[in-house]
Amino acid sequence: MLGCARLAILQQLEYRFNLIADTVIQPVIVGLVELTLWAAFFHSTGNQTLNGFSREYYLSYAVWAAFVSRISTSWMYESMMIEDIENGTVNSILVRPISFYEYYLGQFFGYKVFTTLLSLGAPVAVCLFADLPLVISRLPLTLGLVFFYLLLVHTMSVAIASLGFFFSRIHHITVAKNITLWMLTGELFPLDLAPEPFRSILIALPFSSAVYRPVGYLTGRLELNTITEGFLSISLGLLVATVVATALWNAGRRRYSGTGA
Amino acid sequence: MHPDVTREVTIETTGLSRSYETYKKPEGLLKSIEGFWKRETIQKVAVHPTTLTVYRGQIVGLVGSNGAGKTTLLKLLSGLIYPSAGTTKVLGYDPHERRPEFLRRVSILLGQKAQLWWDLAPADSYELLAKIYEIDSAVARSRVRELADLLACTEQLHVQLRRLSLGERMKMEIIGALLHRPEVLFLDEPTIGLDIIAQTKIREFLGEYVKVERPTVILTSHYMDDISLLADRLMLISHGKIVYDGTVEAFTAKSELRQTLSLKLVHPPMQDVTLRHDFKISAGTRSVRFEMPAQWIADVLGELMALSPVYDIKIEEVEFEDVIRSFMEQDARLRAAGHSPTA
Ligand SMILES: Nc1ncnc2c1ncn2[C@@H]1O[C@H](COP(=O)(O)OP(=O)(O)OP(=O)(O)O)[C@@H](O)[C@H]1O
Ligand SMILES: [Mg+2]
Repeated sequence: MLGCARLAILQQLEYRFNLIADTVIQPVIVGLVELTLWAAFFHSTGNQTLNGFSREYYLSYAVWAAFVSRISTSWMYESMMIEDIENGTVNSILVRPISFYEYYLGQFFGYKVFTTLLSLGAPVAVCLFADLPLVISRLPLTLGLVFFYLLLVHTMSVAIASLGFFFSRIHHITVAKNITLWMLTGELFPLDLAPEPFRSILIALPFSSAVYRPVGYLTGRLELNTITEGFLSISLGLLVATVVATALWNAGRRRYSGTGA
Repeated sequence: MHPDVTREVTIETTGLSRSYETYKKPEGLLKSIEGFWKRETIQKVAVHPTTLTVYRGQIVGLVGSNGAGKTTLLKLLSGLIYPSAGTTKVLGYDPHERRPEFLRRVSILLGQKAQLWWDLAPADSYELLAKIYEIDSAVARSRVRELADLLACTEQLHVQLRRLSLGERMKMEIIGALLHRPEVLFLDEPTIGLDIIAQTKIREFLGEYVKVERPTVILTSHYMDDISLLADRLMLISHGKIVYDGTVEAFTAKSELRQTLSLKLVHPPMQDVTLRHDFKISAGTRSVRFEMPAQWIADVLGELMALSPVYDIKIEEVEFEDVIRSFMEQDARLRAAGHSPTA
């Protein structure tokens, strides 16, 4: 696993442009867009608070949502897994004593830890500089929840990639999934702003742990119980995802033809 | 057969077969739209039920034309794909279960596909492989050095794989396949697309390697030198069926001994001539070259000499490669005529 993490870092240093796009350009652009939207909202409505929280809470939420959602979304590794299965590169994993799941989990985590450490300074600096709410002592638990959520993300990716055994060109599933998640995670707005019954459903789903719970906790909008509930709801999601991924993987392996050799 | 081949069974299959599901791509737009909903699937049998036994230390040369099922058989034996039916035991394991204990003891090299990491230098790939196979990294490094020395490719160890030539890359792939000292080795066209020098180098290396480390090997190649120099057992596969299984020598002996007769005629014939055994010479031809069973040579030569004085006479033994070719051609003819292949 550690070997795979090292592989990820070696490879990413090779794809320098992608690394910069993922760690710098994307979160900065998304962050700026969301900051502007919230600033415009408070300016145009003349409100001082929304749902009991001041403008600063929302700005801090926007900064951290951009940063955290970048961690908790998987584009690249999911595409790589799909490609490997579609073009038969997976062969070199299948004939070796390592599981596909582990092999990619090692790389995925290696990459996420590496890029997180690389870019963590930026949102912290923004909050300190602009005097936005941030409880820095909550950072370890926040990241702990996000990384636990990554297990669910990875398992879902394996399930989707397994479809590559049956169909070709399934990349659009990744797009559809990530757009759906984008609405469910709270990247767009804190989920507690949604009207009932959507509010309860959205928060109860494990996807709230991708952005809403960790960012809400870190910026002081939510308390510790949101983290424990998050761990619980991810665990349930993980259970379901594991069953689905295992079934799809096994069925796919059965009809796999060792493409391309 | 090697003198010290013990009779310990390493690979055993019973009724092992595999078919691929493909679907008929319909012609035309309307049919394609229809095909979107219901696809007509076709089962293509790549390996017919096969029962075979390979003993420890044997070097099996698996030969057959394109699409005969060689790669499919190796994929089945290495656990890369599931069988459609039948059972397989390799080192006592069912390959497709992919038990780590099994995978640590076997290796498959697919000559048509890179198995090392494209973006890494081979040295980095080997380090990762050492972790995957749980080999001590110092031990792995010295093994790599040793193998790279033998293959004369030490200089390229630190060059990114994608920047290497085909031949250099194949050597790196071979090191990657041998790093963990596999007891069973499946080599699918290890010399494909290489120039004569690289081919010879790899062939010599493999010959040396199997002498020293004594793995059980199944090797496929379209270069008959690979087979005749490395293999001690020959398997011919045709349309998914093993049609010959025995030693290389026995195979050459079994097929009729054939020779080629070539010569030049001092006076080319004025019109088309048909000789005995249906050999034809068209008008004006000076150079003649016929392949035939050895016992016909005297007849045909006599007839030619009656036709005109001759010079530049050569009578040559047909090479192993030619024997294989004529065997396959014969097999294809029988098949077309609806006969089952002879074992
Ligand atoms: N993924 C696949 N899907 C459908 N049919 C396949 C697939 N792979 C192979 N086949 C078919 O199975 C048969 C055997 O293929 P295989 O690759 O085992 O042949 P081979 O003996 O290795 O040939 P070559 O010498 O060209 O490498 C061929 O007819 C091929 O068309
Ligand atoms: Mg092949």
